[in-house]
Amino acid sequence: MAMDSILRVDMSDLSVRKEPLPAKWAKYAGRALTDAVVFDEVPPNADPLGPDNKLVVAPGLFGGTTAPNGGRISFGAKSPLTGGIKESNAGGQMSHALARAGIAALIVQGAPAVKGALYVLKLDESGNGSLMRADELAGLGNYDTAAALLAKAGDEKIVTITNGPAGEKLLKASGIAVSDVKGLPNRFAGRGGLGAVMGSKGLKAVVAPLGRGGLEHADKDAFNVAVKKFATALKAHPVSGQGLPTYGTNVLVNVINEAGGFPTRNFSDGRFDLVEGISGETMHEIGEARGADMGHGCHTGCVIRCSRYYNDVDGNYVTKGPEYESAWSLGANCGIGDMDAVAQLDRACSDLGLDTMEMGCALAVYMEAGKLEFGDSDGALAALKSIGSGTGDGPLLGSGTEAVGRAFGVSRIPVVKHQALAAYDPRPIQGIGVTYATSTQGADHTAGYSITANVLGVGGTVDPLKSEGQAALSQGLQIATAMLDSFGLCIFVAFPVLDIPEAFQAIYEMASAHTGVPWDTDMLMKLGRETLTMERLYNEGAGFTAADDRLPQFFLDEKLPPHDAVFTVSDAELDSVHDFVAATAADMGISVPKLA
Amino acid sequence: MRIELALYASLQGYLPEGPPGSSGKRSRIVELPDTITVGELAARLKLPDQPRISFMDGRAVTDHVALHDGTRLAIFPPVAGG
Ligand code: SF4
Repeated sequence: MAMDSILRVDMSDLSVRKEPLPAKWAKYAGRALTDAVVFDEVPPNADPLGPDNKLVVAPGLFGGTTAPNGGRISFGAKSPLTGGIKESNAGGQMSHALARAGIAALIVQGAPAVKGALYVLKLDESGNGSLMRADELAGLGNYDTAAALLAKAGDEKIVTITNGPAGEKLLKASGIAVSDVKGLPNRFAGRGGLGAVMGSKGLKAVVAPLGRGGLEHADKDAFNVAVKKFATALKAHPVSGQGLPTYGTNVLVNVINEAGGFPTRNFSDGRFDLVEGISGETMHEIGEARGADMGHGCHTGCVIRCSRYYNDVDGNYVTKGPEYESAWSLGANCGIGDMDAVAQLDRACSDLGLDTMEMGCALAVYMEAGKLEFGDSDGALAALKSIGSGTGDGPLLGSGTEAVGRAFGVSRIPVVKHQALAAYDPRPIQGIGVTYATSTQGADHTAGYSITANVLGVGGTVDPLKSEGQAALSQGLQIATAMLDSFGLCIFVAFPVLDIPEAFQAIYEMASAHTGVPWDTDMLMKLGRETLTMERLYNEGAGFTAADDRLPQFFLDEKLPPHDAVFTVSDAELDSVHDFVAATAADMGISVPKLA
Repeated sequence: MRIELALYASLQGYLPEGPPGSSGKRSRIVELPDTITVGELAARLKLPDQPRISFMDGRAVTDHVALHDGTRLAIFPPVAGG
């Protein structure tokens, strides 16, 4: 089996067609492929919730293989939140399931003729699919939906993609859930409102058999050698070998708080007085005391294993993680310093299908507007639930941070390209500010994770409080990340890859042995540049200009304690981040896509 | 001199005796000789010989930096998230 077909699902006539992967897309997978499909087939001025938008789901190049940490999956579309192109990256088992069925991309297009009708797409092991009417799942949370699908599957090992009530309601803060190794719908393509795109298609879920290995390699022996080399490097690096497996991502809470860059109470402070309550160390101690499953992979083949579950006092599963970003957004950013409360908020977001980061920022802005007190976790939970019930301010909150801020006249609205910022204040950590400002995705820390050299001492050192070197750092990371996302590699491999030369070599050795095409460093970087170039041109077609590559003004004006820092990277430096786009576009022979 | 020392994640077990600092059980107020660097303190505490992430009053510092009275020093093992 090879990943060589497209499964095109047209909701307008309910057809599901398997097509050969066109030659023009054959060199792409993951993020590069979702981008190429959106670039080629979705006019940049399309209504994101209309029939012309397409939801594209693509495993990375290493999907279905034993490449360590190679089972991440890309969800792409025109984003209803940002209005630009979106690639939202998730863990879980679906990358393997699609790849093993030979599917390079699932393209969901059109819109159902019957308004309000819901469907489940069921795939088989050979990559064929059919749509089944599933109105009975309407309004169900992700957990109940996945449980119903699992029960229906009986003994068959299945993987699910599910859309929660927020996506069904077409809310811009909605994300899409993917089931993990235990079948729990807790891995998310959270950002950019893609749940709303899925909802607009009337698609409630996708069910696929997990399948078995057996993806062909051009050179199996060489592939296995490279896999071993890569796994050895991932285990040897202290971050991927020890830090992440032991404490998970939330270990960053104390690090970023200590650095004075931990956004607190809607980005009004860089340190959180109640930090101990939500730190990774505290979460680890709670997890040990309650017998939580800590340190597993989100998909088969992950050797870093940063994922963990959070249990209640009785030892029952509440939610996954919470990850650092969620502990921050629903915790410090809302002034909430209690891990159990954060876990309940995280669970509510997961079940409703809401991006925890967008929601944490939306709630914090709501608090700043005086609609809730900072620290009121009961009020925050009730507010989230009102999104599910569609009552009170629920529909507004589910529309995201900017919508809430505008509705109540809040001046401090932390968004770029309409998407909420992440858990690093860009004033004392300026490199991440460059990424927030310039990313094609809207404010997105993963797009170019400058925290590496700014704070963690990985891949060199760049003073986080100064503007020097930040644009170049972010540019390099954005290019490398676009490549990793296209290969389906978890971005946490970046820590060893930045420090251990063999880890980087192993990536192109695995790619060469898998595809038979001789990959090298230049080709990896070319793939990253091409991916970003498609995204930039698409966004240009959608109306974005240099003015959209800027942070909100308050980051330039308001000093953030404790460092009293403001963001000082110049507009010219920000504009230099995409200086490769024109030349790459010329090489690729592409230009801004045509409007409809 | 007297500083506040905080040790996190896998380094917590190396925290010396002393009155707690502002980070509860993760930090202590410790008495030190007047001239000592971050690296020398790490050696005194017998921290594992691996890279560290150290902050003095919120700014990243290397092992060569000298501590001074009243400072807060926080040391992390190599960790990351995202
Ligand atoms: S390191 Fe974490 S996020 Fe990355 S693949 Fe493994 S479990 Fe998933």
